[in-house]
Amino acid sequence: MRHTRPAVGVTALVLLAAACSPGPGAAPGAATPAPAKPGYLAVADPALPGGGTLNFQVHVDTGAATGLDPQLADVATSWQLMSLVYETLVTVGPDFSIQPMLAERWETPDPTTYVFHLREGVKFSNGRAMTADDVVGSLKRLLASKSVWVGQLGPVKSVAKDGDAAVRVTLKEPYAPFLAALANVPAAVLPMKEVEDKSVDLATTMLGTGPYVVGEHRQDVSWSFRRNPEYWAQGRPALDAVNVTIAPEEAARIAALQNGSASMATLGNVDSAGMLAGAANVQVLSQATTDFYYLMLNTQAPGSKFADPRVRQAVNLAMNRTQIAEVATGGQGKPTGVTPAGLPGACDPATLPSATGGGAEAARRLLAEAGAQNLSFTLAIYSTEPAPAVAQVIQQNLQQAGITVKIEQTDEATWAGKVYGKAPAEFDAALSWFAGYADAGMVTKWWNPDVAGFNAGFMKADAALSEAIDAAGKATGAARTEALAKVCQEADRDAQMIPLVTRPVTVAYRTDALSPSLYATEGYGNVLRLLPEIRAKKAQ
Amino acid sequence: MRLALWWSGRALSAAATLLGVSVLIFAAVRMMPGGFAETILGPFATPEQKAELAARYGLDQPVFLQYGHWLAAVAGGDFGTSMISRQPVADELLARLPVTAELTAFSVAAALLLGVPLGVLTAVRARPRGGAAAGRLLSGLGVSVPEFVLGSLAVFLFSRYALGVPAGGYVPFGQDPAGNLASMVLPSAVLSVFALSATARTTRDAVLGVLVEPYVTAAVARGETPWFIVRHHILRNAAGPVVTLVATITAYLLGGALVVEYVFNLPGIGSYIVQAVGRRDYAVVQAGVLLAAAVFIVMNALVDLAVGALDPRLGVTGKGAA
Amino acid sequence: MRALLRDLDGLSRAGLACLALLVLVALGSVVHLGGDPDAIVGPRLQPPGPQWWLGTDNLGRSMLPRVMEGVGTTLLLSSVAVLVTAVVSAGFGILAGYRGGYVSELVLRLVEVLYSFPAVVLAILVAAVMGPGQTAALAAIVLVTIPLMTRLVRAAAAGVARRDYVTAAVISGARLSRVLGRHVLPNVSGTIAVQGTYALSVGISVEGGLSFLGFGVQPPQASLGVLIRQGGTYMIAAPWLVAGPCAVLVVAILAINVLGDGLRDRLEPRQPRSLT
Repeated sequence: MRHTRPAVGVTALVLLAAACSPGPGAAPGAATPAPAKPGYLAVADPALPGGGTLNFQVHVDTGAATGLDPQLADVATSWQLMSLVYETLVTVGPDFSIQPMLAERWETPDPTTYVFHLREGVKFSNGRAMTADDVVGSLKRLLASKSVWVGQLGPVKSVAKDGDAAVRVTLKEPYAPFLAALANVPAAVLPMKEVEDKSVDLATTMLGTGPYVVGEHRQDVSWSFRRNPEYWAQGRPALDAVNVTIAPEEAARIAALQNGSASMATLGNVDSAGMLAGAANVQVLSQATTDFYYLMLNTQAPGSKFADPRVRQAVNLAMNRTQIAEVATGGQGKPTGVTPAGLPGACDPATLPSATGGGAEAARRLLAEAGAQNLSFTLAIYSTEPAPAVAQVIQQNLQQAGITVKIEQTDEATWAGKVYGKAPAEFDAALSWFAGYADAGMVTKWWNPDVAGFNAGFMKADAALSEAIDAAGKATGAARTEALAKVCQEADRDAQMIPLVTRPVTVAYRTDALSPSLYATEGYGNVLRLLPEIRAKKAQ
Repeated sequence: MRLALWWSGRALSAAATLLGVSVLIFAAVRMMPGGFAETILGPFATPEQKAELAARYGLDQPVFLQYGHWLAAVAGGDFGTSMISRQPVADELLARLPVTAELTAFSVAAALLLGVPLGVLTAVRARPRGGAAAGRLLSGLGVSVPEFVLGSLAVFLFSRYALGVPAGGYVPFGQDPAGNLASMVLPSAVLSVFALSATARTTRDAVLGVLVEPYVTAAVARGETPWFIVRHHILRNAAGPVVTLVATITAYLLGGALVVEYVFNLPGIGSYIVQAVGRRDYAVVQAGVLLAAAVFIVMNALVDLAVGALDPRLGVTGKGAA
Repeated sequence: MRALLRDLDGLSRAGLACLALLVLVALGSVVHLGGDPDAIVGPRLQPPGPQWWLGTDNLGRSMLPRVMEGVGTTLLLSSVAVLVTAVVSAGFGILAGYRGGYVSELVLRLVEVLYSFPAVVLAILVAAVMGPGQTAALAAIVLVTIPLMTRLVRAAAAGVARRDYVTAAVISGARLSRVLGRHVLPNVSGTIAVQGTYALSVGISVEGGLSFLGFGVQPPQASLGVLIRQGGTYMIAAPWLVAGPCAVLVVAILAINVLGDGLRDRLEPRQPRSLT
């Protein structure tokens, strides 16, 4: 139950917080529409007729000039929009279970072999039937690419056809997160015949097996999708069309929900439920994600104060994750270790040394020991909410331990240039979040800069930590939980990247326009995962 | 002949200003920290990918060469390619132009059609003492409420309570003319408050200035009717400052439109420039800002011509409305 | 000064009083009169009450010290920026107006280039180049306000330069610096004072707009623009977060504009009003 965290839990937490406060708490809770199946926040009413349009608003478009190639997509917002067109062999079900998608079923004759039996009748939206060659070609293309996802796919030895309707993947060694890694958009099945004869440029055109096809796209303004008539699932998708509007301003998205020009929107502000409390026909849901905020301490800059592990551990000790979760995320996020809280097998952050080690007082002692009293540093953040709120609570936390933090807030472009632009990087500390993915061992791989080269500018590989990460990849069953706990311990000690709290996602929709389906938890930041099931309440 | 000479001189100085503007824009864009590569390729880009991108957009050449290429291309009508959308910048701007143009046009119209009569009226009417202060306070208030305050307030009121017009969102005119006009009501109203108040204030000042002239006194002494005096003496002589104001206001509105588009989420040129700055889409920032500056410079030159035509004395002295 | 005060009309005196009050508030914030603006003191989003007179914000910080700090930041930034503008504009404007010819033409051209950018666009460019923050906001205000003041000072100085007393001073062999400092400057100081007042209101508005768009002053430091941006999101759930800063911002700009009008009527009757 721990990892599903139904929204009722949030309400209870808020009520608790309100009970402790002298006045009536304006902090909102997300209500649960009844009844929903376990693992779901909402289930679409199957009795509603098909047809209609979804008008969806998000704050940001697909990630820029890497183009529309799903294999190069590296941010959750891109994955979400691309999932309308592209599909993967397997997908993530409720509570992070792995479910069939383009593969109808699969076998693992031994721990390093996977045989996927492809679904019959799957066609690309140009009418051509998907073949085993498309699957093999797509995976080989991915493995040969510079995609960051290669690091997640694991130790793949070979990919080959196994007859016309099956694909065999062989691994060099057992790798527990393999199926979860296959379930994300970069591992999608691409129309390899068209890619190879160059009739389709994936950077500018989207052509997949998914429920929708692209009508029109204006970068950073809007998308229009219409139903894919070739879609393999009978009677799906229910909606005829999906219009996506990019609205960077939170207030604009809230206004669009209120006046009905949007039937669904994602909201960044943790208090959106309260802001929309008075709006008629608007339901606000808080979806738990495995994404989490983390603090980067740059150990690679010449003369860095953080080269001394004791200084990093002091910062880690002074961090009050409970306060960050309650204040900066309005009680909707929760403390996490490097294995994202909420995922099966994730460690309990409350048992880590940073939580039990004595807090600010212990941090002061450790700093004195390291000769780093009066530590002060600059924290680079970007302005997207709630990052500034998280940073300001961190600042208050560290002040308790006598550490002075200066917050330097820039737009995401400047921030990215500062953090990832140079090696060694020039910042002191920086705040960001990772998507937590669908397996507790996946995101931990980014804690090894030899795998995640983008981190190499500010951290160096820690032998013990890297070993623990690899061990957790190979382990199975109960041994895996233990191995993951070890990863948490090692990351907590290493403290070059300090996990903080999970990042909640707020989804709001018009109850008079839409009957949505939504999982209670999500690992790839995709609130549209159940889009084919979503139904409209009135034909628009 | 002298007039033609002055006009060509005015055109030349406008061109020089535009050139200066282009240098400043180009320099500013290149001085922005945060690489285009990190922004565009994302944090996970490899050095090879970055180098390839730089080569594709000519960003690996010396800066002055890049400037030369850009200027030559712009002179030929080619504003480059957006690094984000990979579409020609000219197309991107053109697609967003109707929003900004509509917004600005409505606001200029409101400023002139309401502001000028209001200014004349408040100037020529005999005013009781308290009324003067109230009028000053009110028109002062109009120029003292920034768009982002007024816009936020409007979005709040009109989205919280269903008041008939949508707050935010844009409907293309071709798709739904009535819906388009409805969606522009609130943004235009917010944008025009400043322009309207400023026009009223300037008109009132100009008219008050004319009112003390001897020829007005003479006209009153001749027994001419107030309306005749307003039409024949006051409006003609007060027209100069008001016409000058139109150019300034149009330029001001282009900046104000940026904030209004941002607040109301309208896909216009202003909000596009803000986004482009954030994403370091160099070609778009350069073209967008150059366009805004060019509109201002051309408007100013036209106004100088108009003022020169209204009052030939100004033209001959060689000093436009400085 | 007392004579000037006596000559101002009631409305302008009210504006001056408002401004003085805001300055007092700003001074109070320096010594943390209302409390520490960054400290988390209570539950989040509390309405105004005895413990926190203006309520608490989304992090549980008391709004009273935050608004006070905001007033201080905004006023200080705008005033410093306008001082810089006044010095630069007076220097170039007087020189250009007195010298005329190509000097005047050069200054006018340079100023014209700056003037061609819409104010907000210029401010955003400055912030993007310098990195968002106080310095960027300051530089933006300076660049936005320089053109108009330089042009008007130049025009005024050109008028003064033709006066007999200036000619007399030049003939008697006074050095250029003495002519400009002793004879021209005092006679254009009215224009500088009036335009400086208007520039102050432009400065407050530019700082607010820039911070509102996220390019200006950075949290946790409060400025009126920052507070309005943060509070704007909570307009429905917690209107007190945005109402105070909005009201103070509008009152500040209005007070300064009204004062500017009064000064103008007193110091340079019958000059057209500035627009921006």
